[in-house]
Amino acid sequence: MTTSTPRRASSMRRHERLWGLAFVTPIAVQALLFCVIPVGIAVYAGFTNWNGLSGRRDFIGFANFGEFLTDKYFWIASGNTVVMLVPIPFYLFFGILLALGAHRGTPGSGVFRTLFFLPYISSIVALVVLWKWIFNYQYGLVNQGLALVGIQGPDWLGDPAWIKTTIVLMIGWKLIGITSIYILAALKNIPPTYYEAARIDGASTLRQFFQITLPMLTPAIFFLTVIGVIGSLQTFVEVQLFTSSGGPDYSAATITYYIWQKAFGSNELGLASATATFFALVLLAVTLIQLRLSRRWVFEGE
Amino acid sequence: MKKLSAAAALLAAAALVLSGCSAAQPDGDTTITFMGWGSPEEIDTFKTMIAQYEEKYPGVTVDYITVADADFATKLQTMIASKKTPDVFYLQPDKLTQYVDAGLLADLSSYVDDNQEFSVDNVWKKALDFYRYDGTTRGTGAIYGLPKDIGPFALAYNKDLFDAAGITAPTDDAPWTWDQFEAAAKTLTQGSGNDKVYGSSPYSLESAVWSNGADWLNADRTKVTVTDPKFVEALQWVADLNLVDHVVPSPEEQSALPDYQRFVDGKVAMMGIGPWNQGGLWNDATFNWDIMPWPVSPSTGTEAIWLGSIGFGVANSSKDKTDAANLAAFMAFNKDAQRTNIEKGQAIPNLIDMAKSDYLTSDKAPANKQEFLRIIEDYGRIATQTTTYDQEWFTLFNSNVASVFKGEKTAAEYTASVQDEMQKLLDEGIAKQGQ
Repeated sequence: MTTSTPRRASSMRRHERLWGLAFVTPIAVQALLFCVIPVGIAVYAGFTNWNGLSGRRDFIGFANFGEFLTDKYFWIASGNTVVMLVPIPFYLFFGILLALGAHRGTPGSGVFRTLFFLPYISSIVALVVLWKWIFNYQYGLVNQGLALVGIQGPDWLGDPAWIKTTIVLMIGWKLIGITSIYILAALKNIPPTYYEAARIDGASTLRQFFQITLPMLTPAIFFLTVIGVIGSLQTFVEVQLFTSSGGPDYSAATITYYIWQKAFGSNELGLASATATFFALVLLAVTLIQLRLSRRWVFEGE
Repeated sequence: MKKLSAAAALLAAAALVLSGCSAAQPDGDTTITFMGWGSPEEIDTFKTMIAQYEEKYPGVTVDYITVADADFATKLQTMIASKKTPDVFYLQPDKLTQYVDAGLLADLSSYVDDNQEFSVDNVWKKALDFYRYDGTTRGTGAIYGLPKDIGPFALAYNKDLFDAAGITAPTDDAPWTWDQFEAAAKTLTQGSGNDKVYGSSPYSLESAVWSNGADWLNADRTKVTVTDPKFVEALQWVADLNLVDHVVPSPEEQSALPDYQRFVDGKVAMMGIGPWNQGGLWNDATFNWDIMPWPVSPSTGTEAIWLGSIGFGVANSSKDKTDAANLAAFMAFNKDAQRTNIEKGQAIPNLIDMAKSDYLTSDKAPANKQEFLRIIEDYGRIATQTTTYDQEWFTLFNSNVASVFKGEKTAAEYTASVQDEMQKLLDEGIAKQGQ
């Protein structure tokens, strides 16, 4: 490209540094404008009485934190949010099962892989409309099916005792596909020589699975767990689409829903920002704990 | 040279990022932004109106932003927070107190009294009352919005089902009492399972409560009054239509099939409707239908029901308030648009003379169109929660009122359980008001 030779090495280094800066600038500016600054504003807003309408932002210290921590609806939402973790082991289990099937080349596995992946790439709004019909109290497939065997199905979407179950089922169902794709990719990365060596040593298929396959899959499982926990704890769209104002007795509202409602329903952006800041710290702590625990069970190679 | 080009690259990168912030200046002297939601049809109607407005006021260009209705409030609030409030926007009367207190809405009072678009005497008084606020009380004082529409909620009935059951609908001068309504609903309720025909859709709680002489709040909107025996009685009566009489669908059945669908399927004989339902019913209803006066509580004989409205607000931050107000008025009172509304069965004209001529004389259902006008002029009310600073107390009331309709709690138990917390939320709203 260039024909000129730098006279001094330091001049060349300076040039390179400038070019490096030029390449880094766009992404750095983007991160600054759309990540660092908004997060900073949100953290600061958490200590003000900002209502999002007037320009007033009086500093009120930790008052917002006191307010949501003593709000019973915040704790109801927290409880509901923890329930959203329930689907994780289920979709991991079925995702692994499916991936193993696909990996072995079970006939028709390509078709099934596509079918199971379909929910993940479908619009969530379309899925919820579908599920609302499937779980419709009077005309839904589920309750009609139950009626055939003489059971009156519950009001899946209107009963505080059942609404979370419906959402949990949907999250699990939606994520089985993508889980199996990740696991499948991990399976394909296991060197076949391991299995050969094991066979020569006379290890059974079951033993091969537990001694080779599963340990080799742990990094992928760990990754999926971390992503899954964060995703589950941030459940929002399902709640907003399935229920009006968080379900009867706030039975389906999650923390992100609580934050959204405070910010855009009640115009308490200060309070919402404080809750969001707190929640971000909790997520960070949960993730760090997971990282620490991972040393005990994730196989990192020799 | 190289240094220069590296610096240029830096500059270019910065320019790229910054260019997102500055908007291009379109042609014309003034540009007014207008934000709303609507069905594709409604958006087309507005586009036509805006073109007419631009023709009438040369030099003014309108930038029409449409948002999905569910996203509208969030989008508007984000624009307000970033000080990019549209000049004219759809205004939900529920939010008016907050917006005025925050200094967001332009006072249109003097414009309403003196303008080239409409005469205030020809606009429904209640339609403007939605947008009046004197700093402490709603419904009086300065005007902060113009009505896009006014929606009286009327009780519709399936005339064929009534005839088959030998029931005659009441006339305006002699509404049914609750007892007569209940008796009629029992006669109309027939069949079982998925084919069951119910006498009525769930009864309007507002109508029952107000007609019984009660309300959610006291007159000056400072005390929650849901434990008032008259309130409790009305709530229980509405719940018992399902629990005791089985003449309305249960809450579970309601969630399974919307009221409107049940009505057009001929599976309920009576249902509350607004003018916005007329066009749909012309297409969907395969039977004769009409509207009738709301039944009255036997202890008072008072007719009562709610009115709805969406308005146009003008931003206080607008640089061209007169142009913006002209646009709002043009859209609110444009005769062609009002006529389109009549033809499509979407709304009742905001202009009194048009409502009483063009609308009343049109030959489409309902026959008793006068009832809609009577609700606007006579017994329709602005909903209680619309007139308070925020609606938190009302949201709480609704959060599990279903437990009464399902029979898990009595009306007395439920109202007693939410009274204190509702009061607390109402007090919090009052404390925020005027700050």
